[in-house]
Amino acid sequence: MDVDEVNERAGPREFGPHDDLPREYREAATRMIQFHANSEIMGAYLEKPFIRQAPSLDRKLALSAKVQDEIGHGQLLYRAAESLGVKTRDEMLTELAEGEGKFLNCFHYEMDEWWETPMIAFFVDGAAMRRQATLKRTSWEPYAHAMDKICFEEGFHVKHGEDIMKELATGSKKEREKLQEAFDEWWPRIIQFFGPTDDQSTHHDFAADVGLKTMTNDDLRNAFIDAYVPKAKKYGLEIPDEPRIRERDDGTYEVVEDDLDWSEFFAIAKNDYDPGKEQIGGRRRAQEAVEWVREALDDHETRTRGREPQAAD
Amino acid sequence: MTALDPDDLSGDERTAVEHLLYRLADDELVLAERYTEWQVTAPTLESDLALANIAQDELGHARLWYDLLQDLGYSESELIYERDPGEFRHATLAEVPFEEGDWADAVVRGYLYDVAENCRLEALENSAHPRIANRVSKVRGEEEYHREHARNWLERLAGDEDGRRRLQTALDRLFPHALTLFEPTDETVEDDIVGMGIRRRGLDDLREEWLATVEPFLESVGLRLPMDPDDPADRLPDAVGRDRSHTDDWFDLHDEMTHTYRELGRTETTRIMDKPTDE
Repeated sequence: MDVDEVNERAGPREFGPHDDLPREYREAATRMIQFHANSEIMGAYLEKPFIRQAPSLDRKLALSAKVQDEIGHGQLLYRAAESLGVKTRDEMLTELAEGEGKFLNCFHYEMDEWWETPMIAFFVDGAAMRRQATLKRTSWEPYAHAMDKICFEEGFHVKHGEDIMKELATGSKKEREKLQEAFDEWWPRIIQFFGPTDDQSTHHDFAADVGLKTMTNDDLRNAFIDAYVPKAKKYGLEIPDEPRIRERDDGTYEVVEDDLDWSEFFAIAKNDYDPGKEQIGGRRRAQEAVEWVREALDDHETRTRGREPQAAD
Repeated sequence: MTALDPDDLSGDERTAVEHLLYRLADDELVLAERYTEWQVTAPTLESDLALANIAQDELGHARLWYDLLQDLGYSESELIYERDPGEFRHATLAEVPFEEGDWADAVVRGYLYDVAENCRLEALENSAHPRIANRVSKVRGEEEYHREHARNWLERLAGDEDGRRRLQTALDRLFPHALTLFEPTDETVEDDIVGMGIRRRGLDDLREEWLATVEPFLESVGLRLPMDPDDPADRLPDAVGRDRSHTDDWFDLHDEMTHTYRELGRTETTRIMDKPTDE
């Protein structure tokens, strides 16, 4: 199949591993799914400390399950990416460890305290949900298939995130203040989640043409603002003055670009932002520390190949 | 008797039941807390998911046992978040920290603990307290998978020279702490626990049964127990946990666990799941 034919046939779940797809398609899909998978892993990395710091046993269990789900999503997505035949999972995990793998802007920031957790678990996950729901109709079938499970589980995560937020929003004065502080800090990053309004993404057109992406960042941002500004207000949060958000006559929103720090955003996009680099490095060191286990497993597999069935884990 | 009604328990009986529940609940909570350290940093995505499962099982078990203590009048806050860390009863095997990358520790610790867990749960199946007995079967079903997981990892790692060396190092360090699983919280109370039929077997018995399982298996994969066979208890560490003596690491861990609760000035904990049932 050449690119023209791909463009012509592009539609929801249209292509799978049995199709002979052009390199351009396979690379674009790999880039997109790898980014998504990396984001699952780095999001989990950011939330992990709050398993320990959760202020109740039930919250602890829910956080542990959430972090586990995110790793499971990473596993599914790497598999969906691997099926394109461009990179292996090991290669993608190595790229992530070495700071070459890209991932969501919000996961490059530090998260220090419990009251920040709804910023990820409610707002960022909520934003991600909107994007992910559209990906159930992406043209790479294994990706769409992974989305079915991921969206189902993310629904629970967002509910739990909202529950944590509600608890803080209806809690003591200190809790409400801490929640507002966290919101002030995270809101611009959350808006930037969708990229610049005039969409400088060079990858978009092709990805849209071949049915990998089904909605533009602008449309997604509008839908997010439409849904989440009222939700934030419902929990007593004041929307920060900046970035200024103006409603247009057609009901869509304009975000005043100059109110956002785009040099930081583009540094993050290049994995060149200090807190994010720390997080990448922390994960890399942890991975290197267990390299010996992977080597021992490889040895074991070589020795026992064909002699006994392997356990799944 | 259908409930652990405090009015139905004599003073000594209540103390014995409480000590037994603290042993169970604190072990599960603290070990699970340590296991979660491996989330996102386990050797492979698959092993990450598997150990997270085990951690959540143990947290669920902790919840079951703390729930029985709640029926005796304590709140979760009192049992975990506002409890003096120097009052916890878990074995020090649960609290000692993992060194970064020491997956051998996680495997050995899991194995030593899960076999012990099986021995003690068996001895609780016919507990004179039906509510304890009722919850045992729920827990045992999951523990079988934990043992299989641990044995499988031991076999795979022990087949590799470097892996076996690391396992032996972990075993040498952890074995004394594992022995604390079988220490009494208090001699008199322990006598009551067995005498009143709350647990059907004594701790020495359980330790022998445990040794009879772990020793041959570990030997079969090329590992040896660091102990005097005539006096297995002679290797106890300085802090044994059960009697409320702990390593410094436990106090740090408790401090981290309770950080948010204290920082927000909370006085109670949030329940988001239904209270466990006895069915």
